[in-house]
Amino acid sequence: MHIPDGFLDPYLSVLMHIIALVSLTWAWKGVKKTLPHSFVPLMAVSSAFVFVGQMLNFPIVYGTSGHLVGGTFLAMLLGPHAAVISMTIVILIQAVFFADGGISTFGANIFNMAVIGGLSFYLVKLLSNVSSSQKRFSVSIFVASWLSVVLGALATAIQIGVSSMFASVGGVKVTVPAMLFWHVIIGVGEAVITASLTSQFLRIKPAMLNGLAMLRGIAYERRY
Amino acid sequence: MRGVTKAIILIIVGLAMLIPFASTFPDGLEKVVESLGLEEPESIWRGLMPDYTFPFLENPYATKLISGLIGLFLTFSIAWSVGWAIARKHSFKK
Repeated sequence: MHIPDGFLDPYLSVLMHIIALVSLTWAWKGVKKTLPHSFVPLMAVSSAFVFVGQMLNFPIVYGTSGHLVGGTFLAMLLGPHAAVISMTIVILIQAVFFADGGISTFGANIFNMAVIGGLSFYLVKLLSNVSSSQKRFSVSIFVASWLSVVLGALATAIQIGVSSMFASVGGVKVTVPAMLFWHVIIGVGEAVITASLTSQFLRIKPAMLNGLAMLRGIAYERRY
Repeated sequence: MRGVTKAIILIIVGLAMLIPFASTFPDGLEKVVESLGLEEPESIWRGLMPDYTFPFLENPYATKLISGLIGLFLTFSIAWSVGWAIARKHSFKK
């Protein structure tokens, strides 16, 4: 759901950049407050993983494909703040070097994938209710990662739908159902990948799941 | 550091193995644009490796692998530098 250049009206591009900037300030402050230098290698590796994951599309139905976004996965490894920063870096590199997602739509893409992805941390928190049950945690991750894709697609649909390029084909009334149709399915792929990866981590290397520790209210210095 | 090296090698192996299976179908948003009969407007910026292809490299596997590896290391190093710049200098008091 990387929006290319030219899809959004200029005023909307500007507005989305402002929203992205506010979110990034929040994320920056959060990382500064909660994470030490020893955490940096994990952030670098997981960003690289998400970059590669987003390159590899999986086919769904009717000649359409989707790919991992990875927002919920990052949020479980890094916590919500660093997840937003990490995903923003991935989106920046995709736009600048690979023309995947536009330059003028950078703010919108940050909001739809990085901000919604990172904030899905709070969806997991809400759904798992800080329960220590492993099963409930996995189910919460499944649902939250599915929702992060569907909500991101909804935001994308509204942004393109209110822009003049899509006015002639019916605007929001057409873009919202069309985007939701595909991303309800793509989201299942996201949910399966995210839930299986996190449960593997939970089994083999639970200490890597900083987001989970934050979810349970354990401060960084007391985690190991 | 050994953990980092191991993880990066795993990611590279995964990339090299999965490229042939990656779908080239349009993604959700591209499909919506296509089915509405709209054309993507001319891009203001074409990137250095558009659509994950490395310039002058014709082989579809090699071009995707090389551009992917470059992207991977760019992401890794930028995330490392940004993380280092934001995170706290000193660990928490014991």
